[in-house]
Amino acid sequence: MIKRSTHNKLTDYFLLFAAFAFSVSILALALRGISGNPTATSGLNDNKWTINGPFELSPERGRFALLYSIVENHSFEFSPELGNFAQPDVAVNNGKYVSIFAPLLSFIAIPGYLIGRYLGISQVGSFATISIFALMNLLLIRAISIRLGASKIAATAAGAIFLFATPAFAYGVNLYQHHISTFFVLLSIFALLKSNKIWSLFIVFFLCAASIPLDYPNLFFMFPIGLFALGRIISFDKLRSRVSIKIALPKLLTIVIMIIPILFFLWYNQNSYGNPFQLSGTLHNAEQISNINPKDLQSIQEKKLLKKEGGQRSAVGFFQTRNILNGFYIHFVSPDRGVIYYAPIVLFGIIGLILAQKRQVKMVTLLVAIMGANILLYSMWGDPWGGWAFGSRYLIPSYAILSIFFALLLTYWNKKTWLYILILPILFYSIAVNTLGAITTSAIPPKVEVLELETLSGIVQRYTYQRNWEFLVAGHSKSFVYQTYLTKYMTPVQFYEILTLSIFTVISSMLIYQGSVTEKKGSLNV
Amino acid sequence: MFNFKKGELSITIPLTKNLFYNAKLFFKKNGLFLMILILVLLSICSFIVYYLNGLGLSYNDARSHLDIGRRVVEGLKPGIAQLGSVWLPLPHILMIPTIWNDFMWHSGLSGGLISMISFVITGILIYYFLKELGAGMIGRLVGVTIFAANLNVLYLQSTAMTELLLIVTMTAGVYELLLWFKNDNILRLIRAAFFIMLASLVRYDGWFLFVFAAGLISIEVMRKRGYKVAEGIVVLFSTLAGFGIFLWFMWNLLIFKDALYFIFGPYSAHTQQEQLAIAGNLATKGNLLFAIKVYLYSVAYNCNTFITVLAAIGAMVLWLDKKIKTSIKIASLTLLAPLIFNILSLYLGQSVLFIQGLSGNTWFNARYGIVMMPSVAIFVGYLTDKSDKLKYVLVGLMAFVLFFSFINGDAVTIDDARVGSSQKNVSEVSGWLNTNTKDKDGFILIAAASHDAIIFSSGLPMSKFIHEGTGAYWDSATISPDRWARWIVMRTNDLNDTTFKLVSQSKSFKEGDYRLVNHYPFADIYEIKPELVKNLNTRPILGRQK
Repeated sequence: MIKRSTHNKLTDYFLLFAAFAFSVSILALALRGISGNPTATSGLNDNKWTINGPFELSPERGRFALLYSIVENHSFEFSPELGNFAQPDVAVNNGKYVSIFAPLLSFIAIPGYLIGRYLGISQVGSFATISIFALMNLLLIRAISIRLGASKIAATAAGAIFLFATPAFAYGVNLYQHHISTFFVLLSIFALLKSNKIWSLFIVFFLCAASIPLDYPNLFFMFPIGLFALGRIISFDKLRSRVSIKIALPKLLTIVIMIIPILFFLWYNQNSYGNPFQLSGTLHNAEQISNINPKDLQSIQEKKLLKKEGGQRSAVGFFQTRNILNGFYIHFVSPDRGVIYYAPIVLFGIIGLILAQKRQVKMVTLLVAIMGANILLYSMWGDPWGGWAFGSRYLIPSYAILSIFFALLLTYWNKKTWLYILILPILFYSIAVNTLGAITTSAIPPKVEVLELETLSGIVQRYTYQRNWEFLVAGHSKSFVYQTYLTKYMTPVQFYEILTLSIFTVISSMLIYQGSVTEKKGSLNV
Repeated sequence: MFNFKKGELSITIPLTKNLFYNAKLFFKKNGLFLMILILVLLSICSFIVYYLNGLGLSYNDARSHLDIGRRVVEGLKPGIAQLGSVWLPLPHILMIPTIWNDFMWHSGLSGGLISMISFVITGILIYYFLKELGAGMIGRLVGVTIFAANLNVLYLQSTAMTELLLIVTMTAGVYELLLWFKNDNILRLIRAAFFIMLASLVRYDGWFLFVFAAGLISIEVMRKRGYKVAEGIVVLFSTLAGFGIFLWFMWNLLIFKDALYFIFGPYSAHTQQEQLAIAGNLATKGNLLFAIKVYLYSVAYNCNTFITVLAAIGAMVLWLDKKIKTSIKIASLTLLAPLIFNILSLYLGQSVLFIQGLSGNTWFNARYGIVMMPSVAIFVGYLTDKSDKLKYVLVGLMAFVLFFSFINGDAVTIDDARVGSSQKNVSEVSGWLNTNTKDKDGFILIAAASHDAIIFSSGLPMSKFIHEGTGAYWDSATISPDRWARWIVMRTNDLNDTTFKLVSQSKSFKEGDYRLVNHYPFADIYEIKPELVKNLNTRPILGRQK
């Protein structure tokens, strides 16, 4: 048993640095992409970049198309080639092709694109932007967990578990909004935990407003954070003979910061759709721009989904309470997306939540509110599968919060050997599944589409991570590093095994170390 | 009073102790009244909304219930025997004081009023139930809100359906039973028996509650006082609680000469289920897991999935709470009676429930899950009360879900009524009858068991129709339609339609005295040839019949 009575700060920093460096390396190895600076007129629409390449699904294509259009064409309108590339997530507004996605992600990824273009890997540079946010999320989970009372090692392990043992891994190496949304949530929580001062409110309100042009539904799970922050401005004192309402005026002024992202959003909408209040999600998708390869089953399915939508689209109409039952099933227990199949390790966080609630840990209510809003919102969503996707991508913010509770669980029960015996195999499984997803493909159809796909293709179609495995054993990996440098030295399966074992070794070492140390009383709340 | 210190604006509202005290006193005194007022307003507004948009009468069964009530007071053979045996009689008996009025009949208000009153009382009962479980004000109000803000409840309370009456009688019975378990006051047991007796006269769910409650009472008394006392208490309880069931057997014996007519009669649910089973449409029969799945889906769709999940957690919290007495825990088991009953009846093939996606692409009786609503509301209220600081998060999340439920008008019962097998678009047939028979003399021969919705929707007086309940008129008209029926409404070649079954054998029909006027999806209309009209009896000449 190691006694940590003299807690060595240097060791902590070293461990943090080591964990961070390891995470950077793993993300770099898994980052998807291929070399080159494709252009709209030559390259982007080739299968090498789309179906078989890094832009395998329309959310990546749509956001990259906007990024490309802004940087290369200095316009929010898509050229026909770009419109074709972004299909089917393209809308026609006033005779122009425009993106149907919220725009902020495309703007945020511009620096990455420019650096990448300079190095001859523009797509990789764009995707790497997301990896940076993924790494920051790891650090934020660690920081928040520590502030809520977790030990540093448990907090670091929890951050790594979020990043590598959940579908957050697969969405940390390509161009999706989820890590940035999660970053906004975590940074806001951290700001509120870190300080009661005015700057923290500036950050929170700015992020609350900025989350909308990033992804509209963020509004709902940033709402509890905004409400919590408002509680820092307005306070009630019930005195013996009177009630006093106190409003901190300088803090109240921090709300004004919300104007900046809102103005950006309105400006973008005006320039894209000719109406500052037009939400892109409520636009109708464009008809087919050019012929689609009939072998491209994915596009055919996507088009069918669009046909079904039809009619007048309203922002709140996307969320139907009738869908909750199916949504819960899809997000938690379905073999094609369910948490118990893709990231069972985070379910231990529920025990941590219950323990934290009993111990009256601060902000548990806020964390539960965010998680509840996230789960409910995407369970009401008509497409809880997230289209063709790997695991339940919409729940990435909830994985982050559950990871925080997981850190608390490890801290509270760090001497329960049975817990570690239970956790380690499940951890290995979760890492194995999600590493597979990260280095192969996110294009996994939902079960409901499989029968039709089989009829169209004449072959058996998989709807779980078995599809990723088949992709891997067929000799494919979408990792940029693997495709560029390692194909001569190892097979994709070997590459996968090395990654999986490395991640498991590092995280399980952290867990075992956590189980072996005896924290000095009071050192938990460093 | 405003203060500005160190950049902090402070608004102080001087509320004296006295003011607090007075406010508290006011709510203590008038809280119940305020809650009733809100429930009443909600109830009235919902009725008006569904009356104006025409959805209030979408359920075929709602129209049939209204017709049964109406036949007691108006028709060729009015009387209490018109209550029949298809449905248990209490809802129709309660309609009698108002159903004579044409507006009350055709607006559905005669039946709706019963549902509306039931809605308000159930809300109050949920409040008091939670109070008895020791829940604080927030938990109690959450329970009532969960019940009252449910779109399915609001819809059904605006119709002449029997769900709300069943819910109120069952909840009242369970509430009184809880009080008896808690205080051992025999008067409470008698009151519980009375309400359960009423429930047993609304739907067969009440019969199961009677048996279930009797079982729990016997366990409780044996646990505390031994077998002999238990025997006495159970007999006392059963005498009153089972009286309604006894009366129903007697009714069937007296009116239909068979005490089991309601079970095995030609219009019974059992007979209908048998036909469904033969057609292979009773998938829940003999398949317990599927029966559980189908009913749980129904509960989730009616009560909202998220709220139902919270209720399940609330139930576990209640039963694991060491501070709650075992007696209370046993009593609260009665809240599960509707769940067990419905699963059992689906498993035994005694009822049918189609959920879109599980049972093909249709709904049928999807509303059955709504009877769990008071139980769900009580468990959620209890969970909220026990959730410490998380209660505000729960309230927020429930409000979040309810917001979307209202914005998108998500009510499975409306879909069940409008697009499922529970509805029939009979407007074409009934419209034709209204237009072409209203101002002409002569009777319409029709089987109410098959076409009550047409009778209702036609807007014609009940005395215009000769149906199975009109005694000698029916007997004569089915043998010699040319003497009585100017028009015949029936499904040609369908032997389940009693009119066709009998009339197709009559001489005049065989000889072509009737011509097919129109053919519609749910029924065909025949009219006697013009030259034979003069031979018809167009007045109710048979007088008062026994």
